[in-house]
Amino acid sequence: MVDALRRARRLLTPDGLVIDLRPTASNVTVEVGDRVTGFVDGDAAYRRHAAAADAIASAVADRLFSIAATTTFDFFTYGDSIEELRDYILENWRDTAIAGDTIERTRAVARASPGVRPRVREHVEARRLLSAGPLTSDR
Amino acid sequence: MIEEDPEAHELTALHAVWTPSAACRVLEIGAGDGRLTRRYINEVASIIAIDPDADAIADLRKEFPHVDARAIGVDALTLPERSVDVVLFSWSL
Repeated sequence: MVDALRRARRLLTPDGLVIDLRPTASNVTVEVGDRVTGFVDGDAAYRRHAAAADAIASAVADRLFSIAATTTFDFFTYGDSIEELRDYILENWRDTAIAGDTIERTRAVARASPGVRPRVREHVEARRLLSAGPLTSDR
Repeated sequence: MIEEDPEAHELTALHAVWTPSAACRVLEIGAGDGRLTRRYINEVASIIAIDPDADAIADLRKEFPHVDARAIGVDALTLPERSVDVVLFSWSL
C-alpha cells in the first residue's frame, strides 16, 4: 500500500494531489431504519482497511505526503430485502458476508417495519494528500 | 433492487476535499464500473481509469468510451512521471 502511494507520488505533477476514499476499519452495520440488527462479518476486510490507514500514516511520517483535508461520511447500500443485500455483498464485496443470525434479526425487524428497506452502513473517510518534500527523496 | 448511496454522501465528501477543474488530468485507481467516475467525469480534462476487474472496466469503457480505461492493477500501470494532476484511490488503497 505504501508502494502504491510512492508510485502515485512519482506520477503526480509537483503541485498534484492524492484523493483517498476508503472505508474505515469500524464495523459495517446492518440496519432497518435507524435500528441496528447486526454487523457485516469480514475480519480480513477490516484488517485491510486498518492496513491502508497505517500506510497513509507511514507515508505522512516518511514525508511523502501531508494531509490537507479529511472528512468522513456514511455510505448506505439499500436492498429490497435482507436476502438481496446478503447476495449482493457475497457477490461484490471481498471477504465479507452477513451471518445467518443477523439475517434472521433483520428479517424480523423488517416485518415489523413495512415500507422500510434494509441497508448496510459503511463509515468512509475522504482525504486530500499533498506531495511533501523533494520528489527524489522517495526513490 | 440494490441502491448505493442515494443520499449522494460520497459526492458531497469528494467535493469537500477536492474541487475538480477543467484542466485536471485524473488517474483513478480502482475505478470498477465507473460508479464514482461518472460523478466527476464532466468536471475534468481527462481520466485514466484502472481496475483489475476486466468485466467492470468493460462496462466503464462501454459507458464512457473517451475514458482511457485499463483492466490492470496499479503494479502494471505504465505512465510517464509527473503526468497526472490527481491520483484518486477509489476505495482501493
